[in-house]
Amino acid sequence: MTAEPTPSPSTETRLRDLRLTSSPVEFVARVVTFERRDVTRKSDGSRRPLISGLLSDGTATVRFTWWDPPREGIERGLVLRAVGAEVREFRGRPEVTFSWKTRVGPASPAELPQVDADEVPFRTVRELRPADEGFRIEVRVVRIAAKSVTVGTERRVVHEGLVADRTGAIALSAWSDFGLKVGEAVRIAGGYVRGFRGRPQFVLDERSIVVRVAGTDLPDPAQLLAAPPCSIAQVEDEGGGETVAVEGIVVGLLPPSGLVFRCPTCQRSVRSGICRVHGQVDGRADLRARIVLDDGTGALTVNANRADTERLWGVTLEEAQARLRNQPDPSLLEEQLLEALLGRRLRVRGVGTNDEFGVTLTPESIDRVDIDLDAAAEELSARLGERR
Amino acid sequence: MSLREPAWRVTARELESSLEEEKGEGERPATYLLSPFAARMSRVLLAGNLSLAESIGREESQAFWRARLSDPTGAVAVTAGSFQPRAMAQLRSASAPRPAIVVGKVHLFRGRDGVGYVSVRAEAVRSVAEAEERAALADIVRQTLDRLDLLERVEKEPGLSEETLRQEGIPTAWLRAAKESRSRYPNVDRPAFRRELGNAVRRVAGESGPSRATLPTPPTVTVTRAPPPRPSSPAPSAAERAEESLFLDQLDEVADVSADGYADLKEVLSRVSAHGLVGERTESILNRLEEEGVIEEPIVGKLRRA
Repeated sequence: MTAEPTPSPSTETRLRDLRLTSSPVEFVARVVTFERRDVTRKSDGSRRPLISGLLSDGTATVRFTWWDPPREGIERGLVLRAVGAEVREFRGRPEVTFSWKTRVGPASPAELPQVDADEVPFRTVRELRPADEGFRIEVRVVRIAAKSVTVGTERRVVHEGLVADRTGAIALSAWSDFGLKVGEAVRIAGGYVRGFRGRPQFVLDERSIVVRVAGTDLPDPAQLLAAPPCSIAQVEDEGGGETVAVEGIVVGLLPPSGLVFRCPTCQRSVRSGICRVHGQVDGRADLRARIVLDDGTGALTVNANRADTERLWGVTLEEAQARLRNQPDPSLLEEQLLEALLGRRLRVRGVGTNDEFGVTLTPESIDRVDIDLDAAAEELSARLGERR
Repeated sequence: MSLREPAWRVTARELESSLEEEKGEGERPATYLLSPFAARMSRVLLAGNLSLAESIGREESQAFWRARLSDPTGAVAVTAGSFQPRAMAQLRSASAPRPAIVVGKVHLFRGRDGVGYVSVRAEAVRSVAEAEERAALADIVRQTLDRLDLLERVEKEPGLSEETLRQEGIPTAWLRAAKESRSRYPNVDRPAFRRELGNAVRRVAGESGPSRATLPTPPTVTVTRAPPPRPSSPAPSAAERAEESLFLDQLDEVADVSADGYADLKEVLSRVSAHGLVGERTESILNRLEEEGVIEEPIVGKLRRA
């Protein structure tokens, strides 16, 4: 036998301590991501199903492959205990394989290894990437609110909000009540980061450790939410953000804008009376505007809801519907909305998400900006004069 | 990722002075118009007084309209066709010149003589109140000054890094545009351009009335520019100069006796070949003389002194 201590099959291994061994290991870990696939056997062309993805136990994340997995019951966030898993190595990193020899079953999150807050490395918010874990951060709670959601068949309360340090802000989603309050400074260990709509989100569960700290060099929440606007090029560069503030001119509208119809159940927009999920439905009328905002350095899309659209347009949903009765061409409405918005200078704050079409802002506030022409002229002529 | 092109805030003057193009990257590359003042434009936003539009479409089925947008620094043509129905409707609808904001794609037409004609293919046109036009103009002048300042910094610190600028909130694209426009237009009179911006600032302050779109503006501007780097040909040697003069002598002789005053290319070629000037050498002399503007070929096969 080698001198290196080999974990015996009866004791759990922490994923951080996983080493390439010939003996099977036992561990408890959470499914971070997974994907079902089929592999075709070369010999007889038969297909063999497998699941691959990432597992984490708070100390490390490893790739896993699960041959002939159960057909259902696997979901993100599920905690499982694997007995008799094989360890392999791929590109210098260990990964685990579940075969017919492995016993895999559900486990309680409480069985996950305890992570001591002091033994994990310190990180800043800006450094966090999806699938990161096994770190601690010190942040200020900027926003926090409880929300009831349906997970599978059960109702659960999730505390959603925003936390920030000097380097940036990140969305928070806590599945356990830590009694977080706005303005508090906390040290958090045992959370993990997942990607949500193209943005990283910091997830806490029952095992996460939250400690109140003085946090003297953490930013003030009010200040963070009222930060001056930055250039849209910068927002594009960073792929959105949790507290985006920009100012620009409306240069266009994207479809669908104006009067839209939504599914009464899921709020999805209804096309030809058909909801993508619920089939034929009686669509509810709604107003929206997908505004293209441009500040000369870049452009992004602002998804304005009914209240914002009514305020910016000066036309209510009822009035829009009345107009539609008089001039039964819906495209005219969109035309009139564009007419009302084009060239307007707006300041928008909100959450910016990123996809292949660029950044989309879900606004928290949209305000019209009026320029003080005299002050602008004075400033500009001073700048011109400097070098004359 | 193909991001939407930002609408560069520019004055009509800057557009008029832009004569260099650059091809973008990717599957369907956009063409960018480079200005001497560090703009690399596909889309622009202008504010000024918009004249009445005239129809320039050849057929009714292919409507095409053109108007002029004048701001205190110059004027530029704004067009819209049936592919921009909204903008076209806006151009056509006016009954009198009015202040307006125009967003559109820039288009450069360059004649054989190198004269550039810049126009804007409108995507969005909106009549605005005078205060709004002045506010947009303020935006335009501010960003133009920002770019001029950046150009000066690039000149002083050639090693300026994208990272440094990014931290100051200056877009990476601006630095690239500044470097490119510096190399394409090495001898631009920037102080003169700055002075012209003064007119725009007075307009922002409300000191001057709206720019008259009816003002005749020369459609061309002269800008010293450096074309994109191409293999530079060495100055002709004495021997080559001698061959050029032989070529020109023969051309003159042929032209003198021809009925229409043109020298027939074939005849000139056969004459110079009798003097031992043949093949590629003749071709290169012909090209050089045409390039230098000494001779021209207005009709294929017919030469004359320019």
